[in-house]
Amino acid sequence: MFGQTISGTQARVAAPDFHSRSYPKLLRRFVLGAVVCSVLPLLVVGWVSYLYYSQYSMSRMAAYFQRTVEYNRKIVESFLDERTSALKLVADTHSLEFLKDTSNLSQVFHILNGKGSNFTDLGVIGLAGKHLAYVGPYDLMDKDYSVTFWFKEVMSKGVYVSDAFMGYRETPHFVIAILCRQGGATWILRATIYQEFLSSLVETAGLGETGEVFLVNKEGVYQTSPRFKGKILDKAGFPMESFTGESGILSTDPIKHMDPIAPETGLISANLMKYGFMHASSQQIIAYSWLKHPQWLLVVKQDFSEVFGDINRVNTVVLVLLHSCVLAVLIVSVFTTGRMVKALKRRDRETEELNRQLMQASKLASIGELAAGVAHEINNPLAVILTENQVVLDLVETEEGLTREFKEQLALSLGQIDAQVERCSHITKNLLRFSRRIALPSRFVDLNVAVQDVVGLLEKQARSRGVQISVHFQENLPKIRGFDFELEQVFLNLIGNAIDAHEGKPYGSIQITTRRDSKRQGVVATVADTGSGISEQELARVFDPFFTTKPVGKGTGLGLSISYSIVRQMGGGMSVRSEVGKGTEFEVFLPCRDGDSVGPMETRRKESVKRLLAPPRGQRPTGLSGG
Amino acid sequence: MRKPRLLLVDDEIPFAANLLKLLSRRGYEVSAVHDGSSALRIVEEQEFDVIILDQNMPGKDGITVLKELKKKWPHLEVVILTGYGSVDLALDGFELGAYDYTTKPIKLRDLEEKIGQAFRRKMLRV
Repeated sequence: MFGQTISGTQARVAAPDFHSRSYPKLLRRFVLGAVVCSVLPLLVVGWVSYLYYSQYSMSRMAAYFQRTVEYNRKIVESFLDERTSALKLVADTHSLEFLKDTSNLSQVFHILNGKGSNFTDLGVIGLAGKHLAYVGPYDLMDKDYSVTFWFKEVMSKGVYVSDAFMGYRETPHFVIAILCRQGGATWILRATIYQEFLSSLVETAGLGETGEVFLVNKEGVYQTSPRFKGKILDKAGFPMESFTGESGILSTDPIKHMDPIAPETGLISANLMKYGFMHASSQQIIAYSWLKHPQWLLVVKQDFSEVFGDINRVNTVVLVLLHSCVLAVLIVSVFTTGRMVKALKRRDRETEELNRQLMQASKLASIGELAAGVAHEINNPLAVILTENQVVLDLVETEEGLTREFKEQLALSLGQIDAQVERCSHITKNLLRFSRRIALPSRFVDLNVAVQDVVGLLEKQARSRGVQISVHFQENLPKIRGFDFELEQVFLNLIGNAIDAHEGKPYGSIQITTRRDSKRQGVVATVADTGSGISEQELARVFDPFFTTKPVGKGTGLGLSISYSIVRQMGGGMSVRSEVGKGTEFEVFLPCRDGDSVGPMETRRKESVKRLLAPPRGQRPTGLSGG
Repeated sequence: MRKPRLLLVDDEIPFAANLLKLLSRRGYEVSAVHDGSSALRIVEEQEFDVIILDQNMPGKDGITVLKELKKKWPHLEVVILTGYGSVDLALDGFELGAYDYTTKPIKLRDLEEKIGQAFRRKMLRV
């Protein structure tokens, strides 16, 4: 309804300023503290664990790959060694004469293949490079091998396993040739094996949908068909510059920046990458191993996503959980800190209010003591003046020979002295009432009844000034402890001031309400008028003793001070809101306290005190003002 | 009914003198003293109906005098009239048997009314 609000304490005391504390800054600091102490460690632990686990998983997978390639290499090497040994055994245990006989050679051939040797054919070749005997599906008896590469190799090395080649039969195959010397005779025992059979040897099981295993010779020619791209005897796309005998593993994981996982990858690794054998886009993991005889490179590769699919899924779940936890901690931190700062703010406000009240109480005590001293000291001279007045009045009445005009003038002057003494007397009584700080024995008072009594007294006066009083009482209000005459005095002041506030206005209204305040455990009464209102500067002093806005002689400015003092003694509080030109609203809060009922003895004493202290019924204490 | 015999006990001499004068003119038999000890002494010597007793005086204060008066003369009616009014004082006065308590300044007719009430009570008791 009105703009500015001032509580009884706020109006008069400058208390320590808790608002200078920066709560947003405090909130930021708390949140930062929570982040540093909880979120950061959580993130650090989470990410370190994640990275460690990823690294560990990757090395495990790399080790698995390495084992796979080594396994396959051993299979191929064992196969070739067995076939070479078998041929050596035949050469060592059979004479040239025996083997030159085609039926004998055929018998040996069948014995060898009967043991699962998978030879395609078998031949005995003389030093001239021509078959001396041949068993197999091709007609090769008249072929001259003296110019072939393998013939030269076996002649120089004694035992030779060739790379894959097409040869006369135009089918990819390789040759195992043994140079035999018996007596004075020298000849070559040669067998061929289809290259396809080698492909079936290398294991592809367990390599999923993207894995493949193949062999490449030193020149980079496929010795077995890759599963996806290229075929046997195609160039693999990179030169195998020299045999290194190394084995290793590579990753094209972009995270690794194409760095080999294994440290000693050497030339082959570099070539594998350089010539696009591995594609970063495909993100593959590759393991390789060199065979010694022949010098073939066994390669196993598989897509990174397939190899690390499960690990990646676990990692994703871990990261999602980790960041969810971080987010939750952040949200909880912000929420909890927000509530904490809010509570701190509320507590600060309460402390501020308490400090103000303490300072106000101290101020009131000082003012009260001063006021009481002044009042006491003035009372005695006033009593003397009053009696002197009466003595003169007696003399005038009894003295003869005084003129009528003199007597009338004297009577008027003495009457004025009497009136002014009476006025001073009221002021001193109000001062004493204001300064009274002792706790009176109280009884239960009905707020509605007290207010209604005052309204009944002032209604006629208000009506005559064109002011309409309306009341809105909440029924069944809890009783408050206090004195009804004191409570009436408070509302006499407030309603009287509200009437006076309409000075100069043809009409107006005063609205009085009462209600229960469950939160503060008490009752509240408000007196709102449509009067002239109070300026901001005046509002700050409205509860100060001797502050008045009324003309000189119409008020001493003690009314609201006394009312405030009474309300405070009852444990309550007063506040005021006002807007110039619109009106003023006073709010009185009174707590409902539990207490013993009043005994008959105490009642009698209190009645005597009440009789002494109460102003005449319906009469507002002299010079009540302030608002 | 006869007028009551009054004793004024007040250290404010002009006030006591004026009151003595005014009440005497109105037919009261009035004596005045200016401290508590004198009051106790004069009460030993003379008989009074109502005592108008100030609180703040040199020597014994009003409450002390009241206590001693009531101890010896319980039917003596005392009206406390003081410029230093307080609830504590009023309560103490009533506790000790004062008939009434009032503060200065007081109009003569109001004081007379209180004196009359106190005297009537004393007469009823007697």
